[in-house]
Amino acid sequence: MHFFKALLLALLPAASLGAKKVATDKFQDFHLKALSSAPLKLADKSYDKLTASPRDYSVAVLLTALENRFGCQLCREFQPEWDLLAKSWTKGDKKGDSRLVYGTLDFMDGKGTFQSLGLQTAPVLLLFQPTTGPHAVADSGPLRYDFTNGPQSAEQVHAWIARHLHDRPHPVLRRPINWVRGFAITTTILGTITFITVAWPYLLPVIQNRNVWAAISLIAILLFTSGHMFNHIRKVPYVAGDGRGGISYFAGGFSNQYGLETQIVAAMYGLLSFATISLALKVPRIADPRTQQVAVLIWGGVIFVMYSFLLSVFRIKNGGYPFFLPPFM
Amino acid sequence: MTAATSDSLLKKSTGRNTRGLLRLVILCTIAAAAVASRLFSVIRFESIIHEFDPWFNFRATKYLVANGFYDFWDWFDDRTWHPLGRVTGGTLYPGLMVTSGIIWHALRALTLPVDIRNICVLLAPGFSGLTAFATYLFTNEMTTSPSAGLLAAVFMGIAPGYISRSVAGSYDNEAIAIFLLVFTFYLWIKALKVGSVFWGALCALFYGYMVSAWGGYVFITNLIPLHVFVLVCMGRFSPRLYVSYTTWYAIGTLASMQIPFVGFLPIRSSEHMSALGVFGLLQLVGFVEFVRAAIPSKQFGTLLRGFVLLVFAISLFGLVTLTFAGVIAPWTGRFYSLWDTGYAKIHIPIIASVSEHQPTAWPAFFFDLNMLIWLFPAGVYLCFLKLNDEQVFVVVYSILASYFSGVMVRLMLTLTPVVCVSAALAMSYILDSYLTVKSPETPESVSSTADSSVSGNGSTASAKKAAKQEGGLRANRQPLVGIYTLFSKISVVSAMTAYLLIFVAHCTWVTSNAYSSPSVVLASRLPDGSQHIIDDYREAYQWLRQNTAEDAKIMSWWDYGYQIGGMADRPTLVDNNTWNNTHIATVGKAMSSKEEVSYPIMRQHEVDYVLVVFGGLLGYSGDDINKFLWMVRIAEGIWPDEVKERNFFTDRGEYAVDDRATQTMKDSLMYKMSYYNYNSLFPPGQATDRVRGVKMPEVGPVLNTVEEAFTSENWIIRIYKVKDLDNVGRDHASAASFERGNKKKKVTKRRGPKVLRVE
Repeated sequence: MHFFKALLLALLPAASLGAKKVATDKFQDFHLKALSSAPLKLADKSYDKLTASPRDYSVAVLLTALENRFGCQLCREFQPEWDLLAKSWTKGDKKGDSRLVYGTLDFMDGKGTFQSLGLQTAPVLLLFQPTTGPHAVADSGPLRYDFTNGPQSAEQVHAWIARHLHDRPHPVLRRPINWVRGFAITTTILGTITFITVAWPYLLPVIQNRNVWAAISLIAILLFTSGHMFNHIRKVPYVAGDGRGGISYFAGGFSNQYGLETQIVAAMYGLLSFATISLALKVPRIADPRTQQVAVLIWGGVIFVMYSFLLSVFRIKNGGYPFFLPPFM
Repeated sequence: MTAATSDSLLKKSTGRNTRGLLRLVILCTIAAAAVASRLFSVIRFESIIHEFDPWFNFRATKYLVANGFYDFWDWFDDRTWHPLGRVTGGTLYPGLMVTSGIIWHALRALTLPVDIRNICVLLAPGFSGLTAFATYLFTNEMTTSPSAGLLAAVFMGIAPGYISRSVAGSYDNEAIAIFLLVFTFYLWIKALKVGSVFWGALCALFYGYMVSAWGGYVFITNLIPLHVFVLVCMGRFSPRLYVSYTTWYAIGTLASMQIPFVGFLPIRSSEHMSALGVFGLLQLVGFVEFVRAAIPSKQFGTLLRGFVLLVFAISLFGLVTLTFAGVIAPWTGRFYSLWDTGYAKIHIPIIASVSEHQPTAWPAFFFDLNMLIWLFPAGVYLCFLKLNDEQVFVVVYSILASYFSGVMVRLMLTLTPVVCVSAALAMSYILDSYLTVKSPETPESVSSTADSSVSGNGSTASAKKAAKQEGGLRANRQPLVGIYTLFSKISVVSAMTAYLLIFVAHCTWVTSNAYSSPSVVLASRLPDGSQHIIDDYREAYQWLRQNTAEDAKIMSWWDYGYQIGGMADRPTLVDNNTWNNTHIATVGKAMSSKEEVSYPIMRQHEVDYVLVVFGGLLGYSGDDINKFLWMVRIAEGIWPDEVKERNFFTDRGEYAVDDRATQTMKDSLMYKMSYYNYNSLFPPGQATDRVRGVKMPEVGPVLNTVEEAFTSENWIIRIYKVKDLDNVGRDHASAASFERGNKKKKVTKRRGPKVLRVE
């Protein structure tokens, strides 16, 4: 009897060891798999296995929908960043000290999971904290990363994950050197230098031509004063529908505009300026009185009509604007 | 125009005197018009300081006048940024305050004891008159046409782009800075033309004054070197250029370093590096020119050119290395966001949150400049006609300023002067050629003499050839003939007059409607058409002044910090000088968290009162609920785990305040303080928010840790007092619940021993 008791007592730690070994193995299993291809490509089953509690490791899972028919632009933009993060993290942590497994679950492989989590949108990044072991966290629910500000870079997500795994090593994120781009840039620079050297005698008159510089300056000024920078910064749509199947050329509201709208405005400014220049410089240089008379009438008329149209367009933007000129009331 | 017509009537020396007198009278009239058009708000409301920043400038000026210059220079303000305080003397541009201080003392010396507030209110209109004069001088350097300068002065005097920042009461740095900007440019052109050390030094002195007045001086610091660089690239290097630039750079840099806030920035920050680089480049080019003049060998010249390129490349490399090594400070955020336009939104929400820092849509350009915006390119084109040093300056200035004003709304201010000058060039060119009484004779009768008599350029063919050889403009190839018929003249001139009249009407309309509201006092129309003044801000600030302790700390969003300091004279936690992002984020966190989280924050910062702006009753859209997301964003930047923007949006991504509002939204202190007791104004179930246009929930929020202290007449300002700790040691929620008569829930959990809470 005593012998059995002693045996039992002797076996108890072994049993517990065995139990622990299973859990460790689970992490090692996934970690070994991840070493060859990070992030792990998951399906419903493996997802459940990976995130089942108790677990003594962390899991970061990206739930995404990559297929074209879902039209998830954000998913496709974020995927390379996510792969890069998972790869460089797993590579930088071959021993598995950080106890973190990266996984990707596509909607096609994990419809069940999406349903059980009640997810309507993608992508969603979940971070499961360990429930047992030294890094265990009381709250067992996964943390969710928000993709509110458009596509995120790998660095931002890296920072987020590192913040939640504070007492563990955080392998640094290494972006692979983009050889193709470097090569392309070098070639372009060398090509440009060669081209300039060869074509210098032909280029010089162009560079020293006052008309070219005048044109460049005027185009730049027209671009900037017609709100091009606003389009660039706010990424406004080029045109929008008016809700009745037609096209709305002018956006409602004073601090709002479309891409096409600014081009129309720039064209109006350009035409007005050109007419002014013609009136000021060209017309007094016409030697024939009759031609001159016609030119004055044409350019004066162009200014009048264009300015009237400009005022009417501005009245669309600013409802209470009281001024107008005849043709466009 | 008047001067132009008088030309033909009056000749010889009496004519010159009369013209001079006329010009003076016209300039004075323009200055008077410029001042008068900025007085709308004083006449409609009263002599009052506007908006936000001016309140700080006003307070600083009062301090300067009361305590003298040296105290002002060393001023440490412990009544803002509680508990940190602010080294005010070292973190402001003192030019504005010192200017009004000097005016105040000068008037007192003349036994005219004027209230300092009136000087502050009327400083901006006064300086706008001077700006018009400076524009006149600047334009006269550009052209020989006598009317261009006067037209530019008129445009500058009444263009809304400038009026927007210089109406009476808008006591801000820009009030004097635009005058200094234009005048510095005038002196620079003058120095460049004459090539004298005297004008260069004068330019540097005014540049120093500009540095002391406005952070926008960086624009000059970069524009003048760019101009010089372009001139050198065009092969227009001359001893005049060398003398004027080196004088300006040496004295100007020294002068700018005298301002404590600027200090050593001119030799350390990247914004100022272009000026230093061009200074070095000029030395090299000067050296090369000197050597070339001495040794006429062609090979030597080529060798020198290579040497110059090498030195330039090395210095550029050194600059980049130093920047990366951290010796030269990196770009400041505000400046950086000008180039990389996506930068601010990601990295510095506090800069992105300011409406002045938004990009400019095209209606804003037209609104601020009207017809000038399309005369502007024409004027720039005219500058290409005779491309001298000064015309190059206008071209460079126009391109740079149009880019900047497109990126940031407030920089429209730097664009306005050059637009006025260019537009005046174009307009005067047209008026000059169409207003001459004398017509050229018809070509049949004078085919042999017409060319020589009218154009004075010699024969057509030779003029053509000359123009081609010069590389002149396409439009300028033919010889000048003139306008033949009276009909052409009358039609063009009358059309232009009509446009000018529309311009004047537009400027008046814009000034009166858009730029003359003090924003401290709001005006509305009653149904019978009479004006009704909404004066909630001053009512609330006056209440604070009279009913709270002298050192009661007021917590509010930073927009109102300067006003509370200026009008209520109470210490604030944060204000419009947004120097400490973390402190602002703390306030944002307190506003956007639950009461249980906010209360310890408020206790730690010794907050006595919380002030919120609520526009729901009146439909005042500039209230705190509309600014709330910025508070959340800025707080999220520092505490991403505790404050999350996502939680303030409903599942469908809406920012809602009614029944659909998220729990986080409903629990936030800002929401509760805004809508506390709001239901009691309406019959049950009828409460509506007039800004958001939604019906509010049946049951309003409950406040435990703060109590309502004051609500202004139209509910725009609501002030809450932060409760002291409970006498019996309960937490506030249970104490409030007890007050309401709710039965206390049985507490089964036994309390452990008291522990000191350590955060």
